[in-house]
Amino acid sequence: MVGGLKRKHSDLEEEEEDEKWAWGPAGLRSYQQALLRISLDKVQRSLGPRAPSLRRHVLIHNTLQQLQAALCLTPAPALPPEPLFLGEEDFSLSATIGSILRELETSMDETEPSQNPGAPPGSQNEVLPQPDPVFLEALSSRYLGDSGLDDFFLDIDTSTVEKEPALAPAEPPHNLFCAPGSWEWNELDHIMEIILGS
Amino acid sequence: MIPRLGALTQDTLWCFSQVKGTIEIGATEADIISTVEFNHTGELLATGDKGGRVVIFQREQESKNQVHRRGEYNVYSTFQSHEPEFDYLKSLEIEEKINKIRWLPQQNAAYFLLSTNDKTVKLWKVSERDKRPEGYNLKDEEGRLRDPATITTLRVPVLRPMDLMVEATPRRVFANAHTYHINSISVNSDYETYMSADDLRINLWNFEITNQSFNIVDIKPANMEELTEVITAAEFHPHHCNTFVYSSSKGTIRLCDMRASALCDRHTKFFEEPEDPSNRSFFSEIISSISDVKFSHSGRYIMTRDYLTVKVWDLNMENRPIETYQVHDYLRSKLCSLYENDCIFDKFECVWNGSDSVIMTGSYNNFFRMFDRNTKRDVTLEASRENSKPRAILKPRKVCVGGKRRKDEISVDSLDFSKKILHTAWHPSENIIAVAATNNLYIFQDKVN
Repeated sequence: MVGGLKRKHSDLEEEEEDEKWAWGPAGLRSYQQALLRISLDKVQRSLGPRAPSLRRHVLIHNTLQQLQAALCLTPAPALPPEPLFLGEEDFSLSATIGSILRELETSMDETEPSQNPGAPPGSQNEVLPQPDPVFLEALSSRYLGDSGLDDFFLDIDTSTVEKEPALAPAEPPHNLFCAPGSWEWNELDHIMEIILGS
Repeated sequence: MIPRLGALTQDTLWCFSQVKGTIEIGATEADIISTVEFNHTGELLATGDKGGRVVIFQREQESKNQVHRRGEYNVYSTFQSHEPEFDYLKSLEIEEKINKIRWLPQQNAAYFLLSTNDKTVKLWKVSERDKRPEGYNLKDEEGRLRDPATITTLRVPVLRPMDLMVEATPRRVFANAHTYHINSISVNSDYETYMSADDLRINLWNFEITNQSFNIVDIKPANMEELTEVITAAEFHPHHCNTFVYSSSKGTIRLCDMRASALCDRHTKFFEEPEDPSNRSFFSEIISSISDVKFSHSGRYIMTRDYLTVKVWDLNMENRPIETYQVHDYLRSKLCSLYENDCIFDKFECVWNGSDSVIMTGSYNNFFRMFDRNTKRDVTLEASRENSKPRAILKPRKVCVGGKRRKDEISVDSLDFSKKILHTAWHPSENIIAVAATNNLYIFQDKVN
């Protein structure tokens, strides 16, 4: 290919067929799940000592909503149907993120005076929620029912995501995502442990 | 002074002029420059940083003896504008980072500027003192009060020259009006009012009144769970004091007329380009989010910057921009990685030159781009210490997107995404630009023949 020449959409797709990365339904689903995980990571990380950036939060929220819609529409791979690792089929991502936005609103409520210099920090009766427990509480209340944790992982095919991080993933089709080359199940286990408080 | 027509029709040659700031070893995060702004004459250049400091540079008078060296910018004043705060009620830190600086037009010997962090806008007066009063009756030379009983004669204090001292004093503090983070301030052409915009609201202030402001835009939904769009930038029209625009995270621009109603929730004009379905991805909305909006000096056009492009809009045409410039389209295939490392949320600014014929914006790897609207030519330049010899001509840079890389090209995968040029400024009438590269401020000028 001549450097600098604009590649047509069809050229991209033709090239991708030669690549090692399989862009079948399983691959697509993995990418979407990876993006989902990245997005939720971001939400969790954005709740820190500083007031979070509302713009960033809203953009991630909107992306998550699109992901949710796509994951519902994308046909499941040829496996026994399993719930998504984060919850039941009727979980509402938008409701969860919405609850986070509500918590944000509470913390940024302008009806409260913005400064209260007289009161020392430790004497507040109204304990403002710490970011992590709020997020996790919302997560756990929305996502998890009584199903055992083990059931989530039994049937999930991990072969598409257990790759060496050093491999540079191929160029995905234009409407798909980059490879979740760095996603490890250990991290997922860790997140689940936090959620269950174990 | 409008640049010579010849300089615009031919490609302008840009030369290194100065660099301010420490070399990386001594740099801290507080030194990262967060805003750059020339004043209305170009005599002063102000920078704000993450540590809440403002540094003002002044252009020295051009010397007849050194015709080839145009006036250099030297430090004129440095002061701490904002301090970090902690909101005990909400358990939130308030960053001292200076988000924006805007100059007021000069009306007397003193200079005035507005500086803002996330929550508070301040009006600063910067003035020179080169005389000192001496010969007080009631105070001695050290300023101690004298016993009135010891005073037997009266004298008139006189002004004696002293070493030039530049002092900055906060004249107004506009606080407690923003629940969300202030992203923009804009001085109105009436020079009596200004606006401050946060994620959900825009307030109108009178310079003389600090304890109240008028809310002119409010897009906060009744139910925060329904929030899908925020305000990203706002600016007053340069000539019509009733008109302003604000941009959103969904890639739209609204033009409002304050004469229409007190609360400008209903726009007068709505600018949005239909989405290209062939480019649709999960990142479409994020990359369409407008990070900066600027009126042209003429007031006829607005320029917007989103993640990959700069667009010029005619105020009389709402359904699409009249010009679109690709800043770094080679990043389109890297959006997932850029989402993962948060670069996709970077907010790049854009600026017009004095005659509205050239626009400039930053990119990664300390690259910045200029687009000539008349010739349709563009150039990529780099702000780096390697190109820092005095009057050295900047060599155009090129990013190689695939295939064989030429010797002086850089491949997309080699770009340094930690070196981002988010803030630039263009002198109001000359070809002098200021480019903020992390903690360094580069000043470039066009080649003087």
